[in-house]
Amino acid sequence: MSKDFEKKEWVDLASKELKDKKLENHFWDTPEGIKVKPLYTADDLKVIKHKIGLPGLPPFTRGPRATMYSNRPWTIRQYAGFSTAEESNKFYKEGLKNGVMGLSVAFDLATHRGYDSDHPRVVADVGNAGVAIDSIEDMNKLFDGIPLDKMSVSMTMNGAVIPILACFIASGLEQGCPLEKLTGTIQNDILKEFMVRNTFIFPPKPSMRIVADIIEYTSKKMPKFNSISISGYHMQEAGANQVQELAYTLADGEEYIKIALDRGLNIDDFAPRLSFFWSIGMNFFMEIAKMRAARYMWSEIVSKFKPKNNKSLALRTHCQTSGVSLMEQDAYNNIVRTTIEAMAAVMGGTQSLHTNSFDEALALPTKFSARIARNTQLILAEETGICNVVDPLAGSYYLESLTSSMIEEAKKLINEIDEVGGMVKAIELGIPKMRIEESAAKRQAKVDSQEETIVGVNKYKPTEEQEINILSIDNEEVRKKQLDSLKKVKESRNHDDVVKFLEKIKDAAKDESKNLLEICVEAAKKRCTVGEMTEAMEGVFGRHVLSTKTISGVYGKTVNNSEKINSINHHIDNFINEKGRRPRMLVVKMGQDGHDRGAKLIATAFSDLGFDVDVGPLFQTPEEAALQAIENDVHFVGVSTLAAGHKTLVPLLINSLKKHDASYIKVICGGVIPPQDYDFLHELGVSKVFGPGTNIQEAAIEIINLL
Amino acid sequence: MNLKQFLKLKKISHADFAKNLNISPISLSRYIGGQRLPEKNILLKINDLTDGLVTPNDFYLFNEQELKLDSNKKKEIKNLANKIKLGNRKYLGKAITIIESSLKEDQIAAQFLLNEFRNNDNSIRIGITGVPGVGKSTFIESLGLKLIEKGLRVAVLAIDPSSKKSGGSILGDKTRMEKLSVNPDAFIRPSPSDGHLGGVAKKTSESILCLEESNFDIIFVETMGVGQAETAVYDMVDIFLLLLLPSGGDELQGIKKGIIELADLIIVNKADNDLKKQAEITQREYKNAISIKNNSSNKKIIDVLTCSSLELIGFDRIWQYIYKFIDERKKNQKFFANRQLQLSKWMWNNINLRTEEYIKKDLKDKTFVKKIQNDVENNSLTIVDASNIIFKYISKK
Repeated sequence: MSKDFEKKEWVDLASKELKDKKLENHFWDTPEGIKVKPLYTADDLKVIKHKIGLPGLPPFTRGPRATMYSNRPWTIRQYAGFSTAEESNKFYKEGLKNGVMGLSVAFDLATHRGYDSDHPRVVADVGNAGVAIDSIEDMNKLFDGIPLDKMSVSMTMNGAVIPILACFIASGLEQGCPLEKLTGTIQNDILKEFMVRNTFIFPPKPSMRIVADIIEYTSKKMPKFNSISISGYHMQEAGANQVQELAYTLADGEEYIKIALDRGLNIDDFAPRLSFFWSIGMNFFMEIAKMRAARYMWSEIVSKFKPKNNKSLALRTHCQTSGVSLMEQDAYNNIVRTTIEAMAAVMGGTQSLHTNSFDEALALPTKFSARIARNTQLILAEETGICNVVDPLAGSYYLESLTSSMIEEAKKLINEIDEVGGMVKAIELGIPKMRIEESAAKRQAKVDSQEETIVGVNKYKPTEEQEINILSIDNEEVRKKQLDSLKKVKESRNHDDVVKFLEKIKDAAKDESKNLLEICVEAAKKRCTVGEMTEAMEGVFGRHVLSTKTISGVYGKTVNNSEKINSINHHIDNFINEKGRRPRMLVVKMGQDGHDRGAKLIATAFSDLGFDVDVGPLFQTPEEAALQAIENDVHFVGVSTLAAGHKTLVPLLINSLKKHDASYIKVICGGVIPPQDYDFLHELGVSKVFGPGTNIQEAAIEIINLL
Repeated sequence: MNLKQFLKLKKISHADFAKNLNISPISLSRYIGGQRLPEKNILLKINDLTDGLVTPNDFYLFNEQELKLDSNKKKEIKNLANKIKLGNRKYLGKAITIIESSLKEDQIAAQFLLNEFRNNDNSIRIGITGVPGVGKSTFIESLGLKLIEKGLRVAVLAIDPSSKKSGGSILGDKTRMEKLSVNPDAFIRPSPSDGHLGGVAKKTSESILCLEESNFDIIFVETMGVGQAETAVYDMVDIFLLLLLPSGGDELQGIKKGIIELADLIIVNKADNDLKKQAEITQREYKNAISIKNNSSNKKIIDVLTCSSLELIGFDRIWQYIYKFIDERKKNQKFFANRQLQLSKWMWNNINLRTEEYIKKDLKDKTFVKKIQNDVENNSLTIVDASNIIFKYISKK
């Protein structure tokens, strides 16, 4: 018996209650490798390694501000983008009337990757998953009637960050808002793009230079604007556990500090404007501990650079409830999940919060679901009394001990990064990506074998299906509109100006002493488009190509000994006897959607279940995918889709297969697909559609049975 | 060997052979076509005339297989061969599937298909090996695109390891050959190793012939690089390249030392950015090590070059080297001699494969074998005795 349980009486009592079970077996091994005990006592506070301190003071464990919510609650900031600037503008205005305090813009995939709406590679991407912005004109429509000197605007943009921020700034100036009054945040976190999200454009080196240009420009001219939102969110979405999210995000942050210092900036000029962005999942206490640990560790990291201003040491953060925790099955449960996650974010002391709508596992939110999401926050802020006391959980035996353990584990990961020479190098070597994918595969295996419960998905399944109304977007219509307005912009502008400024951008790209953002703001005013500005830079920097690494074995190891595995083996043996080879499947990711967690997970899990799995490059066109399927002579093509591209991309793929006389190859779709679209896909000739939360082992058997 | 193959090999006309046998040419063609079995004395005579190369058994085996391939199927395969000749990618893909298939029916079809092919000595078969992560795929992407610029057609057979546990595999090579994979003058086919050692798949040699029939000028064979016995690929290519990382000799721990001796060219990849210097040091070290070997024996002389797949540096020199190497070997006939030698190695490889398959598919299921296995497990029979019994059974068969 460990000495932690000195209180013999309690041990005896507990052992009695447990009857024949052993107390030692009641430890919970978290996915982060932390051993959680069944009981914490005052003794545990004696051995914690971090300082708890007071809110508003270093090391800020209890929060960046002295009064926290007792003065003013967190900012309710709902992330949204609805295909066109006009639609989004309507949505923002509706939200502002109903308690939303800041805007958050989601861009469509074409914009993220720096393509104008008329580019041939983005036929299916325009208006998907966000708003299409081709030029300052679209930006003006987006903020029509919204004064930018009063409204804080957060923009999720990393790839085409320079042209988009330039259009935003120029749009503000045209509204009459001076630079120093612009408030808000640009995500501008390119490192995590290389790690998990894949919406990069240029190679790492010029991408980091762009980050530095933005920090430099904003620190000099836009003092109220957050130059980066260092994001762990997408890591957790990609399957990272909380310690990984914590460690890699902080390591990214340190890297950004270094490049800004290399620029000759003073730490106190920019560090107070660095902000963070966490994902908050269902692991309630772990999430709160993560946020506290992050604040403590960040102040420790920044201290190394000797700031004079305490504000440089304080970590401020935005949070969003976890998207991967949303399930397609029994979708109303998502309201409850989001509520619990929102509460964790608030207990953890976030500065602003986005709550997901319950239908986001199916499609973009409707008016109704967006309202419930918003109200979740309003209820927490105004009905519960949580706001009245600053950091109410401080000093909890369990929480502080957990915080301490997380700090310890995260430091191990950061050390690993330091040993290979920093985050840029580690990303080049693929270390964080590999670790995150391992975590994702392990988790999926645990869910599939019911070691982890998801109510309504792998346990307590509903007996009846519920009909949920969802929003559907006519991608073709959006694209047409966008093409029209783009054409107008191009016809009405001064052509010579455009040519001149695009040349200037090229020169600036070659000359590191010039600031790209500064020149692009001028170019945006002259109606250079997002695509044109990107192309000008691409001419110098090149476009980055991802080298894909896929792990194997992790899923198989974790689901060991399950009965289902035997059944799958049996199915596969029969398949081999009949067809002369293993079932072979090509997993593709078409369009500009770079979220490849689903595709990777499917690839590794299916290969661990005995399939031969071909993997397609990111950003494939449907024709390219069809040709790969034919050349490799696969039995199935599995389309992974998350961004509503299925309605245009899948038909194109099926047509391509038909054109090449290869309709014998079965098409399967998986990902975020509204149930309303299932029939549409089946009619097209799709053999199977799988939503989020699908049990992979069952899916494998269903797929094998297709032939 | 069947009689048809023998006559083709020895360039003996059917009429002459019929005369020697003292039978009519029509009877002979029936024997060859499998419509009729020769009489016992003719069987023995053929055995004599062919110096034992065509045994009576060959007629029975031949017959058995021939019967299973009906005329429709034959037509289908002929059609397939034509489509491959015309460069149709879909049918090329299908053909490789048939070749790799474990179905008896497909295996017979594959034999028939290969018999349709011409002999093609115009291609260059390039084997690429190196530890995982050395950048084999990216190297092929860069070199391949360069060769396509020169007007050549490039095919790649990439072998990926199959999991020992699940048997499945991840075939991700095309994600690292993004531009090459969509180029109309390139064809890339990843194959699972399916438990086959030697860094290649069981039927890689056959697949090479398919690609050559489809008029590809350059055939890359990319091994899986797990280092156990990457040597099998050496026996199926004209030139064998070993890729190294710029990090000294450490990685050789993972790869068999013998592989260096097999390499025709050593290339230090990733000579870019901050690794450039390191790459040059590695190059020098290997050059020194090899020059001792180059001097000590009259074996082939190999070179060490550097390249950067990322910055596209060094590929002209590499191609020059390959081109010159092949050219010289063609002039001194070594090129052709090597390909012929490889045929016999291929044969032995096939024999091994078939034996393995026989053991797996037939022998292990036999009741008496199972009983012997049981006895061994119960210690009532020694391993040596058990092996002797089973081996005797096989050799009698």
